[in-house]
Amino acid sequence: MKTPGRVIAFACMLAFVLGAAPAMLAQEPVRPPQPGSSEPPAPLGALAKANLAKPRPKPPFDLTGTWFIDQRNSQNTWRFNPTGPFKLTPAAQVHYDAAKQARAEGKVYRDDIGQCWPAGLPIIMTRVWPIAMIQQPTAIYMISGFMNSLRTIFLDGRPHSDPDIVVASFNGESIGTWEGETLVVDTKYFVNDHHWIDSGIPASDQLHIVERIKLVNNGNTLEIEYTMTDPKSWEGDWKVTKRWTRVEDTDIAEVSCLPDLNQHMPSTQSKDNVR
Amino acid sequence: MKTSVVIGYAGLILTLATVPARAHHSAAGIDQTKQVTVVGTVKEFKWANPHSWIDLDVTDDKGETKVWSIEMTAPAYLARAGWKSTTIKPGDKVTVKVRPFRNGDPGGLFVDITLPDGRVLGQAPAAPRTPSQ
Repeated sequence: MKTPGRVIAFACMLAFVLGAAPAMLAQEPVRPPQPGSSEPPAPLGALAKANLAKPRPKPPFDLTGTWFIDQRNSQNTWRFNPTGPFKLTPAAQVHYDAAKQARAEGKVYRDDIGQCWPAGLPIIMTRVWPIAMIQQPTAIYMISGFMNSLRTIFLDGRPHSDPDIVVASFNGESIGTWEGETLVVDTKYFVNDHHWIDSGIPASDQLHIVERIKLVNNGNTLEIEYTMTDPKSWEGDWKVTKRWTRVEDTDIAEVSCLPDLNQHMPSTQSKDNVR
Repeated sequence: MKTSVVIGYAGLILTLATVPARAHHSAAGIDQTKQVTVVGTVKEFKWANPHSWIDLDVTDDKGETKVWSIEMTAPAYLARAGWKSTTIKPGDKVTVKVRPFRNGDPGGLFVDITLPDGRVLGQAPAAPRTPSQ
């Protein structure tokens, strides 16, 4: 006959094998199905206690803080203007030329943000408003002071969503993985209209962004190297690096594009806005 | 009240490059090379995100009154320059400098204001005061 101590030890080992061990080893955090249920395991939310508690290597840095696009060397660092060899597709070139002509005439071309459409990635990151970032072991939450746009970068090992289920969005779906001292973020599943990289440069549902994120300058400067592809809009890789400064005297506020306020703005209602 | 409208060429000011970004709309319709001074009576002052604004009743030399819509930045940046939501109220007589609309519509982007008590208030740059080094 087994002793009570051996029984308890065996029970603990069995519980570990059936419960905790698979959760620790599985790449994608899931909630086990209820006993007797035929449902597949449900993925755990990024803020689920079991997901947060899962053992993980210590991340090399913590982005938690408030950040502001670095404009100390230039006021135009917020813009995404391509430099060097860059070729738009014929479809995108139509927009680019129309925007150029509108500017020459003192007009505004397809200013969807002024009509309350979300700015979307990547320019939501560089608009001249603070961004609050909160890092957890399983995700980084970024809330822009500009229209309180929310972006989530999942770090919990989940893969990108099923393309037949995911809902396309202006900030896309971001999955982050740590590579040494760098956080590599892969983002896709964007909307196909009303989304611009910059004035006259459309983003499509084929936009794919890879960001290599680093903290430099003793953790006070955030650096992101962007590699962007969008075969509907331009050829090849578009690479650009942006920097943000950690700021200590700023919070984000509630900012919404309200219909009544927006209709009061001559800039958004002008007949010189080219739709 | 009778008003004066003075148009001057202020030249490009680099800080204005931030305007279309911290605003929520493009500023391509603004003539950044000009500065207009208008004297008028506050009709409405809105303290709101993402923009504050002033509607100003401005009467020209012919006695015709038009409402100038003057777009401002967010209250956080105005507060840094000394503004409060109570700084101006309907009926106040003020002088305002603006970057005008290219198309001639009455209004533009706010530059600064001279209050009834003579104080001059602008708006602070978007960049924070104390970035970490």
